[in-house]
Amino acid sequence: MTADGLEVRQSSASVRGAKTELRNLKVVSKLIDTSTCIGCKACEVACQEWNDLHIVPTTQTGTYQTMPSLDANYWNLIQFRERQIGPDFAWLLRKDGCMHCADPGCLKACPAPGAIVQYQNGIVDVNPEACIGCKMCETGCPFDVPRYSAATDKMAKCTLCVDRVQVGLEPACVKSCPTGCLEFGDKTDLVAHANARVEQLKQNGFAQAALYDPPGVGGTTVITVLAHGDHPEWYGLPKDPRVPTSVRVWKNVLRPLGALAIAGSFLAMVGHYLSFGPKKPKDGPETPRGDGPP
Amino acid sequence: MRRAPLPEPAADNGMGDAAMALARTTEDVAVGNEIVRERLSSRLVHWTVALTFFVCLFTGLPIWTPYLGFLASLFGGLHVCRWLHPWSGVAFAAASVLMFVQWVSQMKLTPADRQFITPRGMLRYFQYRNQDADVGKYNGGQKMLFWAAALGALGLLLSGVVMWFPLQFGQPLREASYLLHDVAFSLFFAMIIGHIYLGTAAEPGTFRSMVHGTVTRSWARLHHPRWYREVTNAQRER
Repeated sequence: MTADGLEVRQSSASVRGAKTELRNLKVVSKLIDTSTCIGCKACEVACQEWNDLHIVPTTQTGTYQTMPSLDANYWNLIQFRERQIGPDFAWLLRKDGCMHCADPGCLKACPAPGAIVQYQNGIVDVNPEACIGCKMCETGCPFDVPRYSAATDKMAKCTLCVDRVQVGLEPACVKSCPTGCLEFGDKTDLVAHANARVEQLKQNGFAQAALYDPPGVGGTTVITVLAHGDHPEWYGLPKDPRVPTSVRVWKNVLRPLGALAIAGSFLAMVGHYLSFGPKKPKDGPETPRGDGPP
Repeated sequence: MRRAPLPEPAADNGMGDAAMALARTTEDVAVGNEIVRERLSSRLVHWTVALTFFVCLFTGLPIWTPYLGFLASLFGGLHVCRWLHPWSGVAFAAASVLMFVQWVSQMKLTPADRQFITPRGMLRYFQYRNQDADVGKYNGGQKMLFWAAALGALGLLLSGVVMWFPLQFGQPLREASYLLHDVAFSLFFAMIIGHIYLGTAAEPGTFRSMVHGTVTRSWARLHHPRWYREVTNAQRER
């Protein structure tokens, strides 16, 4: 994967939409196989190291989980969930972080030009210089990923190590994974690979195993193999994530209608002035009527 | 109508406008050819609302749409707008409260006002076909504008607070606020365009009541005949 993929596909608050798609560039993907994750948190450390993030004070939640949820300084978090499934006990581990949606709700909601961009290779990146810290992306994201930092007044999230990817390296988390449950590559290849893994799980007694690549957000760049694929919510994943309807209505319907109302009002007033002109007193300029000083 | 004891018009010493001098403290009195319509305090409050509105408008527009992103450079960039917008919003809301308190007693709709604000009444008004002798100091349209502006400011304030501190509120409230702020803004601005037009180009002689506080007698007879009669009759009776 070369810098070719870093052509911009979509940019937040963009006037032109920036959809070129002149060339069919490859879309990257990160595969998370939750069934082989051992919860070692090497990916968490690698992420902190590579992205030069500083550790934040954590809260003990009674599990192995490093902290309750993602943070502006913590983009990669292994979530530990315990669950009774029939007679069995399951320890469900999931790597939480940005899913890099094909249809990113954060980008849709963002009002700052270029603060959130989606590259041709599918990575959804944040440009802190353009970010104005309005937090609208947090409402747009169906996965609850973007995190606002009061210290920087910016939003932060996983960039899929775009700086590594553009020079042909895999993301830091993938590099560090000791079990190979994280893989990085071309999305078509990885989906095929993930489906083979799902078949394997099905044969091993996980009949509901599935690949999580939710179509409601156009698919995600980060795809997840789930042994209990019929219950993504057991892993803390929404069942059918979508960009909130309100965000779509807001940006696609209300904004143009509002612009129309404003322009309409302005044009109506111009039209009125041209048709009727100013309303002046019929009795002409003021004439003294004896009830005031001349 | 409140009526302060009428001071003697200041002698015209050629160095100032007698009506304007009176308009610092009084309103609804005739002085020579002029009638004092808005005293200084009323005008100050209205100007504060207007100016804070425009700061909100021009800091909000570049956030509203990237097509108007160039407006952000008026303030030094989008980051400044994002900071200034909520604070100017607070100032706008506070000024709106003052304006509400100041005018609310004069904004009750009379039966004649209710006729005025029907679609037919508004059409007649805009076609200059209304010969409504019963228009008081504020016509039905102005009173509706007052109530709509109060409602709009309230909606903008409430949704704006949620948008300012979104993480303190739940997702449904956040989503509702983004929608409400957008709708309220669009309608408010569309309405204010009409308000400014009527107060300037469409009705010459109106804007001076916002600046000097005074209007001419002929203006008052044309636009607010009942108010004109009330002001002048009261003075004759003295």
